[in-house]
Amino acid sequence: MVFNSRHLPLQRFLVSFIFASFFVVAGPIQAGVAEKKTLGFVVTDWNTAMYETLFMDECPEGPTPGNYEIWEASVTPEVRRSYPLMLFTKLRHINNRGRNGVNVCDDPVSFDDPPLKIVEGKYAYGIDLDGNADGTATPKTCEHKNFTSLNGAPGIDNQMYRLMGCVEAWKSYGHIENNANSHRLSSGLGMILIEVTNVDDTANDDSVQVGFYRGIGSYNLDSSGKVLPYASYGIDHEDGLPRYGDIVSGKIVDGVLKTDSADVHLPFFGNYQYMNQVFRDMQLHMELPLDGKPVTGSVAGYYGVDQFYSYVRGMLSTFPNRHKFSCPSIYVAAHQLADGHPDPETGDCTTLSSAFKFDAVAAFINHPEQEERIAGSGQTSP
Amino acid sequence: MIPVVSHLRQWVLLALFVFAGLGLTACGPAEPVTESAPPDMRRLTEEQYRNIIADVFGTTITVSGRFDPLVRTEGLLAVGAWSTSVSSAGLMQYEEIARSVAAQVLNETNRPLFAPCQTSDDTAFDEPCARQFLAKVGRVLFRRPLTDEEVSARVSFARRAADSLGHFYDGLSFSLTSLLVDPEFLFITDFTEPDPDQRDATRLTAFSKAARLSFLLWNTTPDDALLIAAENGDLHSMDRLSRHVDRMMASPRLNNGVRAFFSDMLEFNKFDVLEKDSIIYPAFGTAAVRDAREQTLRTITDHLVTRNGDYRDLFTTRKTFMSRPLGMVYQVRVKAPENVWEPFEFPADDPRAGIQAQLSFLALNSHPGRSSPTLRGKAIRNMLLCQRVPDPPADVDFSEFNDPNSPSKTARDRLSAHATNAACAGCHRITDPIGLALENFDGSGQFRAVENGAHIDTSGDLDGILFADGAGLGQALHDNPATTSCLVNRIYAYASGQSLSSRNEWMAYLEEGFAADGYSITALLKRIASSTTFYAVAPADTSEQEFDLAANTSPVE
Repeated sequence: MVFNSRHLPLQRFLVSFIFASFFVVAGPIQAGVAEKKTLGFVVTDWNTAMYETLFMDECPEGPTPGNYEIWEASVTPEVRRSYPLMLFTKLRHINNRGRNGVNVCDDPVSFDDPPLKIVEGKYAYGIDLDGNADGTATPKTCEHKNFTSLNGAPGIDNQMYRLMGCVEAWKSYGHIENNANSHRLSSGLGMILIEVTNVDDTANDDSVQVGFYRGIGSYNLDSSGKVLPYASYGIDHEDGLPRYGDIVSGKIVDGVLKTDSADVHLPFFGNYQYMNQVFRDMQLHMELPLDGKPVTGSVAGYYGVDQFYSYVRGMLSTFPNRHKFSCPSIYVAAHQLADGHPDPETGDCTTLSSAFKFDAVAAFINHPEQEERIAGSGQTSP
Repeated sequence: MIPVVSHLRQWVLLALFVFAGLGLTACGPAEPVTESAPPDMRRLTEEQYRNIIADVFGTTITVSGRFDPLVRTEGLLAVGAWSTSVSSAGLMQYEEIARSVAAQVLNETNRPLFAPCQTSDDTAFDEPCARQFLAKVGRVLFRRPLTDEEVSARVSFARRAADSLGHFYDGLSFSLTSLLVDPEFLFITDFTEPDPDQRDATRLTAFSKAARLSFLLWNTTPDDALLIAAENGDLHSMDRLSRHVDRMMASPRLNNGVRAFFSDMLEFNKFDVLEKDSIIYPAFGTAAVRDAREQTLRTITDHLVTRNGDYRDLFTTRKTFMSRPLGMVYQVRVKAPENVWEPFEFPADDPRAGIQAQLSFLALNSHPGRSSPTLRGKAIRNMLLCQRVPDPPADVDFSEFNDPNSPSKTARDRLSAHATNAACAGCHRITDPIGLALENFDGSGQFRAVENGAHIDTSGDLDGILFADGAGLGQALHDNPATTSCLVNRIYAYASGQSLSSRNEWMAYLEEGFAADGYSITALLKRIASSTTFYAVAPADTSEQEFDLAANTSPVE
């Protein structure tokens, strides 16, 4: 079951009622009853999960060209020479090559760029989101190609990787996600807090709750710019309720937290774009450390095509485009590759299966009204 | 008509008040008559200098510059201040700071606040204004009113400077600078006068008494009320002086005095040069270092002043204050926002109890990249028990201790190997059993259960009292009689510049009083500040000074 912030009053009432009933029936908690633990984490790094090979075997046609290259290839040398020499001005002109001089990112169907070069490789990170190994359409999905996981599991759904895996700027060495991470760390915006509650055993527990919040304030960094563990963060809330705050069920298996599939809202900031990310049918996997060391995790779920294109457009229409991709190519390809949540009227899919990787460190998460909490190490103050 | 119950309540309250008053005044023994020390002088500490500037001109005036260091004597910089001078380089620094302060005070923004009159023509010298300003400021800086001749000399100096510079306030600024570098400002001097009540005896002037009292309780120059009391001769009456002691004890500024004393006693000046390896201790950054000092001082003033608690409980208390940067080192949740402190209490089963288990003590008495049971044990002996542990011999061999390939995993193992050296064993025997109790805390003070994968044994003993961990060490310190006698010795030395070691009668009096008052430091301060001994002086032995001067200078000549 999924709770979000709208459900919190009901949830709190239920929790209060259950506790009150317990005291009435059983009196104060007896010695020997294990205390439930709460583990907190702050996400420090968030990236699209990209399977990259040394020679870019996953992109047999090579990396996708950018706006500049596309324009340059599409005009004669005379036209090229007629454009302003100043790069900034020239790029603005190139961006505005849509109908009536409109920015092609604002009107991506106005200009026919060459098709986006997409991933043709076999392997990808992610999980089998639709439970369908052959990629045929289901009531909740459209027909698509599946990947194989690195450990050989079939049916991996990750159309986001297929879409962006050949865009160099999006790769692990590209500037898009590195800039976004850097912007988050320096500003504290888009901070994701993950809270695991109702934990009996940090190694194996078949029933825990996982909450997702937006943190407020700055990241606490050491002198080398790394996020320090065990810092305290407040959550963004309005009228006592978190703006974010989806709570999903999960379990811990051999020290790995796994959540049930659920729709989850997550904050995002990067490349000067704010987003309220909605992950449909999201599942989270994360190691639970016991020593305060950084942890890695992943989320997989369906990501809205419009939501994703909004991010791309925000980046490319704000600044003259030197990124190595073009809006029209991405817009068209994203809609072609969309594999989840068909529109009831058109039948066109509206979401892209996707996977993201993240790093996190233990943190204390301060709720507006809250009793003592325990940080991600699973330990109280030593 | 007033109800009978109301009358009864009044009588009961009055009776309680009287009994309480009797109880307070009857606590402890009577003050013994003891031998007095001759008058002396001491240099302002850096903190006192800063406090005075803030008190006189406000906290917006920046004091930036380096001060000549003081030599720690008898465990305190405050005692070293009685036997130090100003070097030529130090004087230049004082002058530079003074120029900066004077320029800020008399700049266009601030001069309406401080200069008591406004001149319409800045190029013309406004003598009444200069006279009024210099007399007013000089009284607070010199801790006594300036004589007419002194004011005239400063005004004359301001005039000459103004004539040269062509600006009234530039001239006035020069004269203010001269006040700020004057020995009468930089040194707190015991001025004496014949005692009218005792033939051939001398006494401190009322202004010197005011300074002694004010620097003890508030660590700053006397306020206007105290200077007026000195001008009226009130401070020569112990009754009237006691009223001022009560007034000052009731002020929140008492916290400043208590903070200053403990900053000195706990050697917090070492924070200025504290270095930690940021790779090994990433959470112990600049903010945590700053807050570690503040945490301990807040713990101390809250416990000793706000709660009027037992001094011994400082070594067992789990109550403290927490900030966001400290929360990361202690690994505890902090709900207060940035730059706000919140009260915090460690759980009863937490090994962290007492100020000796706080980051300030643990980090200051460690190496940059590792803990040090020896430094911590030595600090406890030196600072908290007033037992001097000598420095290690110059030729000590640390190779075995520092060997990275040593099979010894914990500090206890390494030290036991090191302490087999007979030359080292003597001192290590008295430091290490104490310091090893704090080995659960690394070089930054962060908790650790293991070192190099090996369980840390925190058992130890203090003068035969065995304990299992740092909290046990705190209890042993709490129960050790040297803990309280050391505090009494230190606080009197801090107040007077003299060690009590040779003045057993007075020491016994203060110690008994301290115990009778429930080891309340505010009561101890009041006992000292209200005593005749604190203000008593012997006649200055000028012949001895001349002899010493001759002895010191003749070899050079």
